[in-house]
Amino acid sequence: MAPHDDSLIMTGVREGEVEKLAILFERHHLPLYNFFLRLTGNGAASEDLVQDVFVRILKYRSTYQAQSPFAVWMYQIARNAHIDFLRKRRDKDTVPLDDQWAEAASHEPQPGEALETQRDRALIRKALDSLPENKREILFLSRFQNLKYRDIAKLQGCSEGAVKTIVHRALKDLGRAYAALQEGVTS
Amino acid sequence: MNCRNIQERLVDYLTGDDDPVARNEIQEHVGSCAACREELETMTLAWTKLGVLPEQKPGPALRTRFYTMLETYKGRMDEEAAGTERRGRVRLADRFAAWWPKTPAPQMALSALFLAAGVMAGILLTPGPGRSVAIARLEAEVRDMRQQVSLSLLDRASPSDRLSGLSAASQVRDPNPRTLEALFKALNEDSNTNVRLAAVDALYLFRDNARVREGLVGSLTRQTSPLVQIALINLLADIKETRAAEALKSLIADRELRPEVRQKAEWGLLKLI
Repeated sequence: MAPHDDSLIMTGVREGEVEKLAILFERHHLPLYNFFLRLTGNGAASEDLVQDVFVRILKYRSTYQAQSPFAVWMYQIARNAHIDFLRKRRDKDTVPLDDQWAEAASHEPQPGEALETQRDRALIRKALDSLPENKREILFLSRFQNLKYRDIAKLQGCSEGAVKTIVHRALKDLGRAYAALQEGVTS
Repeated sequence: MNCRNIQERLVDYLTGDDDPVARNEIQEHVGSCAACREELETMTLAWTKLGVLPEQKPGPALRTRFYTMLETYKGRMDEEAAGTERRGRVRLADRFAAWWPKTPAPQMALSALFLAAGVMAGILLTPGPGRSVAIARLEAEVRDMRQQVSLSLLDRASPSDRLSGLSAASQVRDPNPRTLEALFKALNEDSNTNVRLAAVDALYLFRDNARVREGLVGSLTRQTSPLVQIALINLLADIKETRAAEALKSLIADRELRPEVRQKAEWGLLKLI
């Protein structure tokens, strides 16, 4: 779908055609859910966060600028929602939820899925845990959310070069962590 | 070009965001520089392995919650536009009043549900003989009440009430034929797209019921909204309902069909055959 089309729809929502938000929900809720799932490792929390993002979109719809791509604006809201989620989690002093994600996934292997793929998933998830929150977030935005470096730079309030440097370092750290874990498994 | 220049461009190389000239330069350099080659290999390993993380689907409740929220928001906007709602903070009592049914039948059903829940809580807190039998009986009554509440709400004029009815029906573990009939009526006849979409989600929960599967297949060719058509195709592909193949073929053959629905129908057909 064209990002321009999303911007037109969101402009309609801003002007009062709020039912059009359903189109944006249908287009974006799945990648958004997976973005949160990769960050939080918890399905229920990720569903709450998706809902929170769309509630905020409605609440702040008057602030949407048509020249800005909708996805960039939405992920800006998503980042804020995630920061609030982390703050609340810290306040409640709850345990990190990543294990639940790994466990849920390992309990539901796809038919015919190779054992090696399952093992790979567990290793890469563990390796991802070793990255700081900000690096993981930027890496996911770049790898899975289809955002350009200049869009991520807008989100992060930094230069495009700085984003590339973070992605570079994140990949290097992740690759090393994965290789070390793999060595630990095979040795 | 030195190692630093090369390393600055490895991310673009990996994501394919560079031009052919730059790619050749990098390839030539890593062919002769072990340090840069190792760096690229480590990054490629991470980039590739990230691809094994699967896309997961949220539960059906997410869609229901979203559409309920949207309907509520829209309803509030409409009320404000009509000048029927006071401006300012909504008090708790106002929220309760907005939620409480306006007609006697659903009011009675909800009151009975609260009464049964209260009695059940009392029994749970009071140990004694015959407790488990009483609890089982009350649980059955609460289930029945929930279905009655759902049916009452599904019959109401406001789409947000009907969405609440679908939400209530989703809480039922073993729906009776009347509830299923009401769900299919919502899916096939409701004038509101959001209600029809929420009905798809509610029926997904009862996908093990043969009658539900058959009804979902039949509903596919009746739908006209692309959103509902896509949601139904997703559902039928997800539950691997092979009887939907013929309905999908008829959809694909329809020249008037929207391209995104055709694409989804072709995808669904591939999943089923």
